[in-house]
Amino acid sequence: MTRQRKFTAALAALGALVTLVILLFPLYAVIVGSLETNNQLLGTHYNFLPPTPKFSNYSAVISSQGGHIVSTLIIGVFTALLVLAIAVPAAHALARYRFRVTAMLVGGLLIAQILPAIVIANSLFLIYHKLHLLNSYPGLILADASYGVPFSILVLRAFMLGLPNDVLQAARVDGASEWRTFVRVVLPMSRSAVITVAVFAFLNGWGDFIFALTLLSGSSFQPITLSVYSYIGEFTSNIGEALALCVIGILPAAMLLIAAQRYIAAGLTVGSVKG
Amino acid sequence: MARTAAPAQKAPGRRSQRPDRAIAEVSRASTWARWARLTFLVPAVLYVLFAFLIPIVYNLILSFEQTSPATISSLFAPFAGIANYKNALVQAVTQSAIIRTFTFTFLSLLFQFVIGFGLALLFNLNFPLRRVARSLVIIPWLLPLLITGFIFKFLFQTEAGAVNQILADMHLVSHPIGFLTSPGWAYLTVLIANVWIGIPFFAVLLYSALQDVPLELKEAAMLDGANAWQRLIRVTLPVIRPVIEVVFVLGFVFTIKVFDVVIGLTQGGPANSTEILAPWAYNLTFQQFEYGQGAAINTILLLIALFAAPVYIWLNRESLRRA
Repeated sequence: MTRQRKFTAALAALGALVTLVILLFPLYAVIVGSLETNNQLLGTHYNFLPPTPKFSNYSAVISSQGGHIVSTLIIGVFTALLVLAIAVPAAHALARYRFRVTAMLVGGLLIAQILPAIVIANSLFLIYHKLHLLNSYPGLILADASYGVPFSILVLRAFMLGLPNDVLQAARVDGASEWRTFVRVVLPMSRSAVITVAVFAFLNGWGDFIFALTLLSGSSFQPITLSVYSYIGEFTSNIGEALALCVIGILPAAMLLIAAQRYIAAGLTVGSVKG
Repeated sequence: MARTAAPAQKAPGRRSQRPDRAIAEVSRASTWARWARLTFLVPAVLYVLFAFLIPIVYNLILSFEQTSPATISSLFAPFAGIANYKNALVQAVTQSAIIRTFTFTFLSLLFQFVIGFGLALLFNLNFPLRRVARSLVIIPWLLPLLITGFIFKFLFQTEAGAVNQILADMHLVSHPIGFLTSPGWAYLTVLIANVWIGIPFFAVLLYSALQDVPLELKEAAMLDGANAWQRLIRVTLPVIRPVIEVVFVLGFVFTIKVFDVVIGLTQGGPANSTEILAPWAYNLTFQQFEYGQGAAINTILLLIALFAAPVYIWLNRESLRRA
């Protein structure tokens, strides 16, 4: 039995290894490509290892795209902050209190989660045009939050429904105001769910392309997804730099997966995440 | 925990000292509190109006208007009846985009489920480093979608593309395949990229469902002489069915609105062979400046997506019941 079990384990490990190699090959290929020159990348042969690994693509892309990388960070961070500011109090109210509209609101959020971003983007373009919100950080961040707000409220509410009621009751009886109960009791107890939601909201803002494409045109700032998009037009001339920018674009996801793996797995399991 | 539990012990003592005053305080607070409770919801309600309800309604209005680049600065344009829908739907591109959206979604979900479930079963076995493997699998799900599209464009290039190189090294092809230049291959390439993105979602959710299958059930089936395949079909699948339903509904919702990957890889080409509804709506609005027709396509996309709404709400009935 144990021998058979060992054999199964070895077979499973081998299977996992093969799957991972296939599944993660695209990422390996971008990293290798980002270390090659344009001539090496556009030759007649694909190189599985960089012939002469150099970081010159990175220095080139950081000098030409450095500002855009900072912009992308700003967009990601403020998207996360905005989503938290909207979603955390709302989730608390929907979990703790009974409103006549609670069921309607929760149902509305479920539907909002389903709505395609492109539909919203097309309308927002025309609405922003009139409100003079095109080509602005606030306009873009407001739009990017739409990926995360419904998901975050639903996830946080589900989490908060599980908090022990007597603790909150006690705080209230003790004379703490609604707001104080929320800040001093609910928030600290919901920390892990808040982190989960913040991580995904940041990645939504960092990786957004639809809203940047539709709501920015010729603005002074842009996220790197738009930069990568403009590299597509000149695919052959700057592919090394484009690949280096792709690696920079996937870094936050990789780093957050290492740093906050527990929260990411939790967010995935609780439900839908992507716009 | 200890810190937040402390007030609970203090409360009764204080109340027993001055009962009448405590009651007065509570009731006075409750009128105020009712308003305070509502203020928690205000930002979310305003935001839902701004980012979802108004854009959806505006899109609907727009789809019935006679729009042109000149009408962009005025909020409303003349009524056009169903002209936008007619003009959009008579185009062959629109018709094939609608059909393609469905075939693309169906094939994506099929492969995502088969591969994702396979991985979930694999991770459910005990082997060294399975935790690491499990977290590495998540990566494709977290990447910016446009960047994924670009990466696949790089991989599937005709000249010096990695995939063509691998196929040539394995002596499977004598000439490089024009993955992004021939219509059939381009569709397959976009499909592969999209399946790649969705595998982690299916794998992680199905894996966590497998973890919750009670061991006693499997052991009982084993004692009854069921083999591994029978246990999978008769025991495991029925138990995790609710999760499978959720995964498919959400997968449908994600796939129906695929946009970035198409733009990154093919931009709908070659010869519109990879045009599906979301990029087509964008094309009409932003490249042809047919705002009305773009809005009409968006309404159609919206209606298809909303097919999932009743199912999704039903699957979430538990959370609504607690409202």
